[in-house]
Amino acid sequence: MTALAIGPCCFAVAADAAGAGAASAWLAQVCAGHGVPPDQVYRLDTCLTEALANVIAHGGEGALAAPVVLTLFLEEAGSECCAVLEIADGGRPFDPLAHRAAPRAATLDEAIPGGLGLTMIRSASDRQDYAYRGGQNRLTLRFCWPLFR
Amino acid sequence: MPITYEDTASGVRLIKLSGRMDIAGTGQIEVLFASLSCAETLKVVADLSAVEFLASIGIRSLISNAKAQHNRGGKFVLFVGDNAQVAKTLETTGIDALIPMFRDFGDALAAVA
Repeated sequence: MTALAIGPCCFAVAADAAGAGAASAWLAQVCAGHGVPPDQVYRLDTCLTEALANVIAHGGEGALAAPVVLTLFLEEAGSECCAVLEIADGGRPFDPLAHRAAPRAATLDEAIPGGLGLTMIRSASDRQDYAYRGGQNRLTLRFCWPLFR
Repeated sequence: MPITYEDTASGVRLIKLSGRMDIAGTGQIEVLFASLSCAETLKVVADLSAVEFLASIGIRSLISNAKAQHNRGGKFVLFVGDNAQVAKTLETTGIDALIPMFRDFGDALAAVA
């Protein structure tokens, strides 16, 4: 199916496990309605889930008290389609992109569970931007894929 | 998310996971998964072939259980079948280098035998 461009599509969720589930369901519904290929939806969902997990774990009371606002754009750009997903939360200023991913463990003995979220966001999205604006952390992620007509 | 298990005649514990291994899904099964995976020394095959989505919190659970079973002297491997998305997530994060991952079920069974 050919992807269609859409303007901003917004959704707000609580910063908790139920909210993260609702966010994924919203993402799936919007993407299905606009012909986003399933493998691209998986990329988007991976980043959305990991970003929300960061907000829940590190955002503090401010993040938990205010809804997390999600905004999704789809746009055609030449021979490709791109999705832009913004995750805005009211937590304390925190730039996840400023943190380096922990070095990979060489063995299971060395492995420390956790700390993979940022690695997954970086590998699943094509571009990542962060800004603190209007009292909100705004993580903007871009995903592009070839358009087949 | 659903979790079931079977102890085979050859002494392998097959733990089958399905659905979304996200924040909520992993929270639902992590205690049972740990209990089934590492309460005793076992040969464990964790079947992820029907997992629809794998988040980092799910990977954390896999690492914890694999590590615990490894420390007991048992074995813990992953079977992904033709689940390309889950396999890609495990490869991207380097988990396949820490926990043996198999696309062929016979190979997974042979690895823990």
